[in-house]
Order: sequence, then structure tokens, then C-alpha cells
Amino acid sequence: MAERYREMKIFEKEIAERGFRYVGQPLPNREAEMKAAGEIRYIDDLRMPGMLHAKILFSPHAHARIVSIDTSKAEALDGVRAVVTWKDAPRIIFNSAMRFYMDTSPFDMPKTEYIFDDTVRFVGDRVAAVAADDEFIAAQAIKLIDVEYEILPSVIRLEDAIQPDAVQANPYGVDGSNICGGRVAYGSHDEDEVLRAVEEAEYSFDDTFHTSRVHHGYMEPVTHIAHYTRDGKLTIWTSGQNVFCFRDVIATSLGMKQSRVRVIKTVCGGAFGGKLEVMHEPVVALLSMKTLRPVKIRLTRQENFMASRTRHEGILRIRTGVDKNGTIVAQHVESALNTGAYAGSGPNTVGAQSGKTFILYGAQKMFYSGASYYTNTPLAGAMRGYGCPQIMVTRETHTENIARALGYDPAEFRRMNVVKPHHKNCMGNDMHNARIVDCIDRGVELFDWKRRRARAEDGNDGAQAIVHGIGMDVAVHGNGWYPVYQDITTITLRMNNDGTATLLTGTHDLGTGAKTVLSQIAAEILTIPPGEIEIIEADTDVTPLDLGAQASRTTYIGGNATIMAARNLRGQLIKEAASMLKVPKDRLELEECFVVDREEPDTRVSFEDVVGSAQDGSAGNPQRELIATETFESLDSIDSYVAVFCEVEVNRQSGEVKVIDLLSVHNSGKVINPATYEGQVHGGMHMGLGYALSEEMLIDSESGKVSNPTFKKYHMFRASEMPKIHVETVEDPEEAGPFGAKSIGECATDGIAGAVVNAVSHALGGVKLDRIPLTPEYIKEVAAGNKS
Amino acid sequence: MAEEEFSVNVTINGTPMSLQVRRKWTLLYLVREVLGLTGTKYGCGTNDCGACKVLVDGKAVNSCVIPAKNLDGKCVVTIEGLQENGQLNILQQAFVDAGAIQCGFCTPGMIISATALLRENPDPSEEEIRKALDGNLCRCTGYVNIVKAVALAAERMKEQNHG
Repeated sequence: MAERYREMKIFEKEIAERGFRYVGQPLPNREAEMKAAGEIRYIDDLRMPGMLHAKILFSPHAHARIVSIDTSKAEALDGVRAVVTWKDAPRIIFNSAMRFYMDTSPFDMPKTEYIFDDTVRFVGDRVAAVAADDEFIAAQAIKLIDVEYEILPSVIRLEDAIQPDAVQANPYGVDGSNICGGRVAYGSHDEDEVLRAVEEAEYSFDDTFHTSRVHHGYMEPVTHIAHYTRDGKLTIWTSGQNVFCFRDVIATSLGMKQSRVRVIKTVCGGAFGGKLEVMHEPVVALLSMKTLRPVKIRLTRQENFMASRTRHEGILRIRTGVDKNGTIVAQHVESALNTGAYAGSGPNTVGAQSGKTFILYGAQKMFYSGASYYTNTPLAGAMRGYGCPQIMVTRETHTENIARALGYDPAEFRRMNVVKPHHKNCMGNDMHNARIVDCIDRGVELFDWKRRRARAEDGNDGAQAIVHGIGMDVAVHGNGWYPVYQDITTITLRMNNDGTATLLTGTHDLGTGAKTVLSQIAAEILTIPPGEIEIIEADTDVTPLDLGAQASRTTYIGGNATIMAARNLRGQLIKEAASMLKVPKDRLELEECFVVDREEPDTRVSFEDVVGSAQDGSAGNPQRELIATETFESLDSIDSYVAVFCEVEVNRQSGEVKVIDLLSVHNSGKVINPATYEGQVHGGMHMGLGYALSEEMLIDSESGKVSNPTFKKYHMFRASEMPKIHVETVEDPEEAGPFGAKSIGECATDGIAGAVVNAVSHALGGVKLDRIPLTPEYIKEVAAGNKS
Repeated sequence: MAEEEFSVNVTINGTPMSLQVRRKWTLLYLVREVLGLTGTKYGCGTNDCGACKVLVDGKAVNSCVIPAKNLDGKCVVTIEGLQENGQLNILQQAFVDAGAIQCGFCTPGMIISATALLRENPDPSEEEIRKALDGNLCRCTGYVNIVKAVALAAERMKEQNHG
């Protein structure tokens, strides 16, 4: 743990020893009542005087040059207030996923996007936009825009894009290829040495796996409002995950100063990474600049599927060498991800994926080599897991193949090979309190792993259609992005005059309960009930800096910053009370909104009086506000772990897979709020099940069109399709985390697909499966082949 | 050219209204954009996700595909019409207590579907609850605590009726 925070950690331990009052309590989400009443306002519910409604004309072609564009008929339509095309947009190139104004990423993040360009590069690329008095007029107007296209050659499939002579999806690929940014390649040893170690090992294994493109499926469609006013100020309301980064990108794309751009996060109806990158905000900004009126756009669900962000499709190959004792000695990971028509998160996702190579298994020789590739398809971007689910499902099915081939129980084989607490991994990094072995052990016991596996195997002997399988896997996720680049957040805590408090944070609550969790942490230290601490979130003109709700960093980074600010404010309360009570500071303690003398508990003063005294100076100190602002800087790379156990029923004739039972055993350190924590895991399991079995964005390989852009055809699990799901926790505290907490958001999804695929493979007698989703057609085909 | 308008007499959250509606207006558009009842959500527009559910004559339906002009004589209840004396009703409170609410965007539709279920079947099995919610998608909760919330509400309603 970082030395700088040693004192703070001692303070946390003292609080913990006193016994937690609010930390560990299953408090409901702070906004739950407003949401249950239907009274909370999401962005689409905001009404502004004079607000116009926008509609975007999206490209019907996968790759084309705009030869001419005639907007005169649209402009003439009654109720149309503005039309914009590439001719109206600044010729400024940007990257919508840029994380930092000064690009400190070690991965090249190419700038490839314009607000509008004269070339379109996927079905769903922006051609023009209209602002009108209502949505019906806007929809009618875009149909009146005449565009003449010159069709260009396109590349749709990832398998085609990675070929050396492939058509270029855009002009930005490295050296005439479709490689986005560059290859990420590094490891514990030279690539050749790692590959040689794989080949020379007692046993060598080599598997390739294909993972599909999926969508976040957040229920609230992408919606933005922009209002540009005569004084040159642009305000953007957006249901996003990273207001300060949005300000960087939006100001850059429009050539504006950041002081003239304000980004306000609205109540978020689900994001899961899908609202982390700037989407159409600059378009509504342009329309507002033309009209000086607020302009709103809300995508239809069909538009949302093609013109937002998706998970990166992947083709991954893993080669592993195992010695005669069953120890993994070397592993090589090769990855190709489909980033779509523009760079966005491509290289960063590859980078994040690369890191996961080294922190789950203890092998001492490992190497990762990967790149993202451009195609003329919708943009990939951040999605819960961020490169991790692809490598996890590939490696965990591969690990299953190894265990089977060598005759090991899959749980035991993993147990032997995973990282252990405080070991050094092959990159020389401390694994901190990595309790994955405990997760496996707990799961084996709770799931009755051995007996259920044996029972399934015994029952599958006949020629019956229905067979059962039991599978498991393990996964890992980080807490923020240290040491890849800076990872900070600032929290301001201020006392109100009546002894309540207000916390200002750039952190975004996406519905996960982040605000509730921060209020519990602040309450624990200040002894003010969480409900009496107001939380103001994510507004670039109001709240301090944060780097976004991403990378499973909110509880870890935001929680630590909250402890720092609360501890500072506590010190101020005690100092002022010491002057008032004429008692030494070290005898004073906070207790239910009073500062109390530990030795004479009747000597006490209320927070209200302390604040009054600080402001009027009556105790002899300079008049001042009690307010604390602290920045937490992450200096530890810590990881959260999970072991997942699954039972499936497979119909060999129809190919249908039914998940019967699913258990996730997480190692997330101390759980701050068991209710919001479990809720997040449940949702992560749901998302992982869809990834394994039912979800895939289908792109027509000729036209490049998304062929299933509705919830009817893009199948997310419904209530009656869900199996029994269970969550267990190995709650051993992680010293660097706030009160010992670690992340849960992404880890909840990362391991689900691998466990499901392994269970299906088990049901089918150990057949190798090499892609997700496991559609009935695929399983039927595999089962038929298996029988013959 | 003025757009064609239709007269409808409709009761919304207990209030009878005479409205002039247009051909293109859906019931969802009517409640959200004309009447300002924004608790009902647009999630898909294609009858698939349930975020826009309202009760029409007691049945939970997707308002995004119902033409407003077909509402003459109907009785519509939206999420705003469920609270009792300004307080959350038993079902709404159960959603809060069971931890069924995360992002909350599906919540109004879920509560509407569950309302219709509990009126018809005050003592549903877990399977019946899940079936009744099959038209409502949720991406945050895996439905676990939503199903619990409906069961909890059924239990509390029973207690209230026997108490």
C-alpha cells in the first residue's frame, strides 16, 4: 500500500474498530423513492422554454463519399429551424473517447472523427441534422434532404479486416492496414522466449475463440440537450459517465474555450460504459449555435443500436505451456478486436485487455500481443469489462480444455495455477490481497461442485436429448487504471449552518448507488446520518474534477477521496470545538452530530454551534467556512476477483441451452453497501448470460446494416428466462481500499460467459466450443457432430 | 395545412378530460409531451421493452404503440396515478425496500405491470410474477429484487387486508 496514505489507513482502522454505523448497511439507493414515484427527471423529461427537437440523417451506406447534399426542401418545411451538414461543421478532427486533454495514454489514441465529414464510413454515420419545433417535423425534414453518394469499397467482417490486403475502412489505419493506433505487445519476457517456453513445455495447448459484438442495452436511450446562448456559453446536459472528459472533447470539436462549455450529468437510466464517450452532443451544440435555442435529441431504439457504441467483437488465440506437475509455465495471448469505423476506445481497450493477461494466473512467462482493427461497421467503445470479457471467456474455455486433456478437475487445476495473496506476478507486481483461491474453495463447497459434476456425468450416458453440465471459471478486474495513467478525484465536503453537510463530487452515479455509497462513507466519519449529507454530482462548472464513472474506480477512488475530505472536515470541527470547550483536541471525538469530550461526555457541543462559532469567530479563531477539499491519487494497482459456478441443461436435438443455477463468489474486500453491491452483481450476471447465450448484434456482411436493431430481435434475458442466481462474498478487506473495499461493477460480468460455456461443454461430453453466443443452431451442430 | 384532429374523452389518473389529439400521437406522446406526465418512459417505441407501460382499463399495455385517437371512453392510469394521498403505495414502497431500483428507468413500467398482476392475482407464485414481468426489460437488476419486491408487496397487501 502506498506510504503516503499510511496515516489515513490507520485512521480508518480506528473508525472500524469503534464499530461501523453506516458502512456495511444495506441502505436503499438514495433516489429510489423518487424513481418509484415516477417523479425523478431523466434528461428526456427535462422541458426548456423554446426547446427544439433534433433528428439526425444517418448514412444508409457502409462507405461512401458525399458528392452533393441539398437541404433546401428540408429548410423550407414549416417548423424547421436549422439544418446542418459537413459544410457547417468545424474542420476539427478529434477522438470521442479521449480521456485526457493532454494525451497521457501510453496507447496511441488516433483522432479520426469529425462532427460531420464529407465521407461516411458505416451505416449509421452522421450525414446531416435538423432542429425543428417537434419530433414529427424533424423526422419529416430529414427525409427531404437529398444526398448523392459515391459508393466506396468497404470491409465489414473482422476476419476480412485483419488480412494484409484488406480494403481500408478509413484513411487512418497504420501503414495502409486496418490497424487502429498500433499493436500493444509486451510481456514478462521477449515474445519469442515465451512462445518457445510454450512449445518446449511438457504439454502445449493452442485455442482460438470468437466473441460477438453486443450492445449495452441500457433502458434509457441516448439523449442530449445543448443550449448555446448569445454570451458564447454552451451548456450540455447529457446522461453520460464523464463530464470533464466530455468538456474536453466537445470544446475541442467546436474550437471553444473550456470556460465557455459546461457539461451537466443528468439522472442516468443505465450506461454500463455505453455513455462514456461523446456521441451526438456536438451535433445538438451546432444546431443550438444556429438557433440560440435549447435543442434536444433522443435516439430511437433502432438508431441507438447502430449509432451509439457496442462491445468490441474479438478473435483471440491463446497458447499455453504446462509442466508435468500441472503448472502453467508460459502463456501467449494474441487478440484482434473490431473497433468499427473510427478509433474511439480501440487501442485503450486493447491496452486494458492486455493488463488482464498477467493478474489471474501465476505463470512466470507471459506475453500479450493485440490490436484493434477498423471496419465499416458501428463504433465499438467502452462496455462493462472493457476488453476483459473477451480475454476471460477465451482463456477460461482454453483452461477448461487443458484441465480436461490432462485429467484435472477444472476447479482444482485453476486453484493450483491462480495468483495468491501478496505474491509477485510475472511482471513483478504485488498481487495485494488477491483472494481468488478462497473464492474457488467457497464456490466448490456451496455449489456442491464435485457431487453435482459426477451426477451430471452419470446421467448423461444414454441417448437422451436433455443432458446436464456443470462448469466454472475465474475472472479478475481492476480498481481504476493505476499505473497506466493518472487516476485522481477531488471531493469537497462543506458543513451547512444547521450541522448537516454537502458533498460535491465529479463522480457519476449511473444508478448503481455510487452516491449512496459515498454518503455512507462520509457519514461514518462525520457521524451525520447519510440522508443528511447532500450529494451534488458531476457538473463541470460546479463540482471538483473527476475522471469519470469507468474502470470500476468509483468506490475505490471516490471512496478514498471521501475519507480524506471527511477526515479533514472532522479535524476542523474538532479544532473549533476545542477552542469553544477549552479541551485539548486529542480528547475530542465526533458523536451523532456533536463534538464530545471523551473523558467528560457531558462536555459537548453540537455541529450547528461549531459551525456558528467558526463563522462568527466567537471562540477566538478567524471567521471562516468549514469546508474541506481533498484530492485522492491512486498509487496502488489492486484487483477484484470472482469464481463463477454454473449448471446448464442442454437439449441436444434443439440445441437449446437452459441455465439452471448460477453462483458468483466475489472477492471485493469490505462491502460498503450489501444491497447496492448485490444488485450490481445480479445485473452483471444478467449481462454475462446474454453474452454467453442470446445476445449478438448481427451485421449484414454485404450492406453493413445492423439486421436486428430492436429488442424483439436483439434478445436480452427476460424475467422468466433467468435462472436462479446467487451471490457470495469473500469479504477480506483490501488495505488500500476505502474501509477495505474493492470494486464490483465490471467484475460482476467478466466471468459469467466462461462458466456457462464450460458447463455446456461439460454437458456435451467435453466438446470444444470456440465462439459465443451459444445459439441453438451452433449447439445443435456441435451436438450432432459430437454424436457421429 | 392544419393537421387533422380527433376528439377523445378519456379519464387519466382519475380525471376526465376532453382532448383534441392528432393522428401521429401515441398514448405515450400524449401523456409525456402533451400532459407532462413524464414518469412513463420511451424505451424502444416498438412494443418490446415495457418502459412505457400504463394501465388502460386496468390492463398493462405499452403506450408507445397505442394511437391516442383510439382512447375515447378509456380509463388510463400512469405511474403518477398510483400514489395514495401523496405517499408511495404498497407496491412502490416494496420496490424501494427490496432494493429493486437501480437506474430506475424500467421501474415505472415494472410497477404498472405488477399492479395489473396483483389486481388479478393477489397471491402470485414466483413463476407467475416472472411471467407477468416478461414484457418489461431491465438491464440493471437481473430481475432478482424486482421479483422479490412484487412478492413483498403481495404479502404486505395480504397483511393489510387481514389486519
